[in-house]
Parts: sequence; structure tokens; C-alpha cells
Amino acid sequence: MSHALNDQTDAELLAAFAGGDRAAAMILTHRLTPRVVAQAKRMLGNQADAEDVAQDAMMRLWKIAPDWDADRAKVTTWLYRVVANLCTDRLRKSGRAIDLDAVAEPADDTPSVQANLQDAARADALRTALADLPERQAQAVSLRHLEELGNPEIATIMDTNVRTVESLIARGKRALIAKLSGRKAELGYEDDQD
Amino acid sequence: MKMTKTDETALEDVFARIRAEDVPVRDALLDRIMLDADTVLAERQQTTPTASRPGLGAMLLDAIGGWPSFSGLAAATVAGVWIGVAPPDAIGNLSASIWGGTIEVPLLESDALLGLEG
Repeated sequence: MSHALNDQTDAELLAAFAGGDRAAAMILTHRLTPRVVAQAKRMLGNQADAEDVAQDAMMRLWKIAPDWDADRAKVTTWLYRVVANLCTDRLRKSGRAIDLDAVAEPADDTPSVQANLQDAARADALRTALADLPERQAQAVSLRHLEELGNPEIATIMDTNVRTVESLIARGKRALIAKLSGRKAELGYEDDQD
Repeated sequence: MKMTKTDETALEDVFARIRAEDVPVRDALLDRIMLDADTVLAERQQTTPTASRPGLGAMLLDAIGGWPSFSGLAAATVAGVWIGVAPPDAIGNLSASIWGGTIEVPLLESDALLGLEG
């Protein structure tokens, strides 16, 4: 892996790959995969599913390489959008629903173990609620609160403007709270006495 | 039903919990992704037409200047053969004037061979 290639931008490496340079693909794989798989894992909550989405997203990148227009978008921006779309599709198709019974009876019932399980149940419940949101709301909320991107960047990723992003996030969060409010007891919020 | 934290704070806590999750990047995944890249590269090389080496005929054609030159050459050759088979009178007269008349040269001494003389 040459030092010169390592210094190149994602778009330059993608152009090199389109020209047949395998080393460029190697650098892009190591540079982009951690971010891609992390985004997918945060949305899906499952490592194997996240890896499938990461592989699918990178495959799309390899295929689009010859037609890539560096002036139109950043590679990372494009990948955020592709991963978000793939994850929302996968969540909808799976029709996922958390199995709280599976985590309700821990073998070890010490407070810390119970707290961890409760945290996991809440995270899973949030992902399930996210999957039930309208697609654009789910994408805006996940990009803002799971990826911690700024609204202008989210607007670019979603090909819209900042005001629309703000609106999508606000409506999405209200909907999430409404969905999770019906499950306060099973998620243990009533026990959280400060 | 009462929540001790505000709904928004509770939601943010869950987001923070998800963000803090460890996400390993396994070598097997990197290998799968590179295998895909190799496949795409191989497919692209198969579909891209490669410049083949020209054959002997093409090289000869190039040497004489391509098809236009070849057709001119062919026409000149046909004309030459025809002139040889049926020369116009002007050509015959021209050769007579150059060589001073018809010269007959026996290729075989047929009369001698057949003993017709003497």
C-alpha cells in the first residue's frame, strides 16, 4: 500500500479503482468500512446484519466507481445515505419486534446485570420504534442522534434543506416518544426514581 | 404512568447508549469486501474490449496505405493484365517502331530434330 495512495481523497481513490487499481480499493475498504459498519450496527443492533449491509453498501460503491461524479457528492455522504436506506429497508422487511421475554429473566439478577439488560431492551425498543417511523424521519433522526451529524450535512445527505431536516427530526422524536411511552412499564422507566 | 426523567432526556439516554456500543470491524468482513472489489474489477476487465494485435493481412494493408490504396493497386493490376492479353494497336506499332519489326526466334530446332532438312 503506497504512501502516495494513502494521502489521496476518497474520490481520487475511487477514480483509481475505476481505472483498475486494486490497491486503491484496499485503502478505501480499510478507511470506510469501520464507519459504514458502525452506522449499520447502530441502526440495526445486530453485528451480522450490520456486516451484510456494510458489504452491500461497499459493493454498490465498487459498481458506481466508473460513473462517480466527484463534483456532485462526497463519497462518505453518499455512503451515509446508502447505509441509511439499506437499514430502513431491512428493518421494515424484517418486521422486527423485540422479545422482551427473552431478556426479562436474567440468570444473574444482580442490579448491574439487570440494568444492562434493561439498557439493551431500551435500545432495542428504540430501534424498533425507529423502524416504524416514516422513512425520512427515521433517517433524519438516526443521522442526527446516532451518527451525531450536523443538520446541514444531514440536509446534503438527504438531498433537502436544513429546515426540512429540523422538521423531520422534531416530528420523528415526538413519534418515538409516543411509541415508547406505551412501553414505559416493560422498559423499566417507572423504576427510574431519581 | 409517571416517568422520573423528561421524555426527551430519556430518549437521549438511549441514543447515547446505542452510540457507546462497541462495533468491531472483523477481518473476515474486510476480506469479503475486497473479494467483491476483485470481482467487480474482473468483470469490468472482461467487458472492456482490449486492443488486439493486427494480423499479417492488416499489417500488409497498412503498409500499402489501407483499403483505398489497395483498390487502386487492384485496378492497375487488372488493367495491366488486360493490356498484356489484348494490346491496343498503338502499343503494337510502338513496339515495332522501337524494335524495328517482328523478330522470330524459334524456341526449338523442330525442323532439325525431325530431320526435315537435308
